[in-house]
Amino acid sequence: MTLVATRFARLVAVLVAVTFASFCMVSLLPGDIVTSVLGADATEEARAAAREDLHLDDPLPVRYVRWAGNALQGDLGISYRTQQPVSEAIGERIWVTLELVLLSQIIALSLAIPMAIFGALRPGSWLDRMLSGVQLAMLATPGYLVAIGLMAIFAVKLGWFDTTGYVHFTDDPLGNLKSLLLPSVALALEQVAIYARVLRTDLVNTFDQDFIWYARAKGNSTKRIVLRHALRPSSIGIVTLSGVSIGRLIGGTVLVEFIFALPGLGRFTIDAINNRDFMALQGAVVVLTVGFVLVNFAVDILHGIIDPRTRAEAAR
Amino acid sequence: MRIRSHGPLRRIAALSLVAVLAAACGGNSPTATPSTQPQTTSGGSTADTTPPTDPPVLTNAPTTTDPTKNPVSGGSLTVGLNSESTGYNPTADAWADSGHNVAHAIFDPLATFDAGGKVVPYLAESITPNADASAWTIKVRSGVTFHDGTPLDAAAVKANFDANKASPQFGSQLALLADTKVVDDLTVELTMTQPWGTFPNVLVGDIGAQIGYMAAPSMLAKADGGRTPIGTGPFKFQEWVPDDHLTVVRNDAYWQRPAYLDQVIYKPIPDSTARKAAKDAGDIDLYYTGSSKDIQEYQKLQADGTVGVTIGAPGEGDMLMFNTKKAPFDDVRVRRAIVMATDIARVFDYLDATGVKQPTHGPYADNSFWFAKSNYPEYDVAGAKALIDEYVAEKGPVTFDFAGGQDPFIVSLQELYQSMWSEAGATANIVSRAQSENISAVIASDFQIVLWGGIGGGDPDNDYVDFHSNTGQNFSGFNTPEMDAALDKGRELADADQRKAQYDIVQQILGDNVPYIWAGTNQYALVTAPDVLGVSDFALPDGTPGQAISGQIFFLKDVWRLK
Repeated sequence: MTLVATRFARLVAVLVAVTFASFCMVSLLPGDIVTSVLGADATEEARAAAREDLHLDDPLPVRYVRWAGNALQGDLGISYRTQQPVSEAIGERIWVTLELVLLSQIIALSLAIPMAIFGALRPGSWLDRMLSGVQLAMLATPGYLVAIGLMAIFAVKLGWFDTTGYVHFTDDPLGNLKSLLLPSVALALEQVAIYARVLRTDLVNTFDQDFIWYARAKGNSTKRIVLRHALRPSSIGIVTLSGVSIGRLIGGTVLVEFIFALPGLGRFTIDAINNRDFMALQGAVVVLTVGFVLVNFAVDILHGIIDPRTRAEAAR
Repeated sequence: MRIRSHGPLRRIAALSLVAVLAAACGGNSPTATPSTQPQTTSGGSTADTTPPTDPPVLTNAPTTTDPTKNPVSGGSLTVGLNSESTGYNPTADAWADSGHNVAHAIFDPLATFDAGGKVVPYLAESITPNADASAWTIKVRSGVTFHDGTPLDAAAVKANFDANKASPQFGSQLALLADTKVVDDLTVELTMTQPWGTFPNVLVGDIGAQIGYMAAPSMLAKADGGRTPIGTGPFKFQEWVPDDHLTVVRNDAYWQRPAYLDQVIYKPIPDSTARKAAKDAGDIDLYYTGSSKDIQEYQKLQADGTVGVTIGAPGEGDMLMFNTKKAPFDDVRVRRAIVMATDIARVFDYLDATGVKQPTHGPYADNSFWFAKSNYPEYDVAGAKALIDEYVAEKGPVTFDFAGGQDPFIVSLQELYQSMWSEAGATANIVSRAQSENISAVIASDFQIVLWGGIGGGDPDNDYVDFHSNTGQNFSGFNTPEMDAALDKGRELADADQRKAQYDIVQQILGDNVPYIWAGTNQYALVTAPDVLGVSDFALPDGTPGQAISGQIFFLKDVWRLK
């Protein structure tokens, strides 16, 4: 409980710091916001009206407090470009990105854990070397190429999936899975390699520990030793990494959503940048940042569950 | 004097290298405009301003349309778009080609192009100038209603012009509009601050010319009206999920024969490879491409009946620009020599564009009404070498920087030019820079020759800022008082033939002095599923053929699906 309370207090502080920083960054981007929104030919009257609407003449801290007060009530402002409430626009898209990130994490972990285990059981064997080679290939192949390759083979040649587009889960659960599988795989492959290599190394170290030799001496099966004794203490690295890599995955969704034409938050962010839609960009950055912080908060909690030492440290 | 202000940033963007590079790479130029728009005025009768006979032949390629089959109603069409738009308020949201394609379904423009590329009234019954084109009278057709049931009348037209005039985005395009007055139920009179002979050009619903779309006043009154657009077009807005799809359904109360299709679903697929894959997999029924390679590939497949390919009126062409203020290109002999050493056929081969792109000998395609044969040099290496030798004897070696992009394909294209010019004795040093750096360099006149774009292809008045001495955007640095006078005169005149006479003068001067290398037309093709028919059959209200595809923008009113 103490651990959760400590982490929660940190979370609030981090959220304030991050939202203020992102607010400042967006505000400090080069170029005049009004020119970006209205174009260089806008009349002085239109420019003045826009400055007033966007409160651009107020000091930055005042603007932040006003924005944060509204944001706490779920109001992220209105896009000056589309006239759509930003929270509504993000609400329409966030599930696509969440599903994409979640599914790609599931795929990455489902592939990485067995690969790591098989590699760690016989380090240096032909199987370990082969898996290591596959992982290197996964790491070295650019995401764009993977995405286009998957699309060419499984959507165009075989026709198993749609090339582009998103199907809502409520409309067609299977269709939803089909629309997200290829993008999720494209997003997951690089993670597979990273997770597998980290977990394999941790497992190899764990297999050298005394308690594993003791478990072997007791006649436990390899399966039991791996799943019961070795995997849990070896998974701290991969759990930490999976939290940290949420940021990388969110970055990756920009590319994948672009290629597979998915209406997600990554594409929304890029559109906001391209359109100089500052209010939308600010909302997207804040939501993504908060998501990242929350995931890592959950990872911290998970650490306490996996590793009793973490709980003990927090209690002290 | 400036009639159409696109704003310096947009203009520069239009000119930007990316357009050229995209075209060269086979991408879709974001700035394409139809190249064959010979007529800029129109009225109830267009006879007085009709261009001479033998108008340009628009290259509507054979489609899979079987003339023995009659169009049938029904069916859905899924269209792959290049990009998403911020909204669909024609007075507030500036559109690229994708936005215009959706707008062509929901809204009708006051004017459009006939098959010969002439601007003719469309939603308007007539668009008539006074004697010196300082006032224009627009009469809209009677009995037309918006999708919300309200009438299209003079008040609605005035509301649209007022909204555009007040729009931060489009107000400057109507800088010459002094007053809009309702004359009667269906007629408005627009008074200009000075003669504006090319006014109808901005009413056709095109990139940089979208003030001609008529939106319902009820929609214009809402701040977020662009999210639920209401027009008079052949299709009614039904649903929009940004970045996913926009659906329109047939307007059964359309003022012309209702469209054949039940619905059209527009899907923005920004990645060109994914868009092609979506077409190949059958996930979309229609997409458009400027890739010569893809067009060639689909044209081969068309013979098997597996796809339909329809090529529209070409957009602005590819080009290179000399800096005529810097040596060695301040000497016309060197400019002529470089043009003479450029074998466009080899460039087309390199781009896989032979048979798709057409050679150009000036800013306007050879089959354009506006084209005038000039003294622009033909390919002649020996002649080029003689001119270079003459220059070298007087002033020293011909060595210069040749600016292009950083894309390896573009660099290799530059290498092709480099090798051709070296055959004449000129040494080009390839400079690879980011697009923004090239633009900055061009604006600062810090270049010698550059791959460029955004000039030519459309109505000659569109090139005023590029050719006139007094605009700040004549980046080649070449101008003459005679050319300025012809450009000014062409802008003020309304009669097509009289205007053409002025632009003939401009082209003669350009042909003599060659501040640019014209490197071929850009073609765009609509690639369709084999059962999608009537792509090139766009009919005007009087039943005569209109221009179904202008650059990358197309009408779907007369498209139907084989059952």
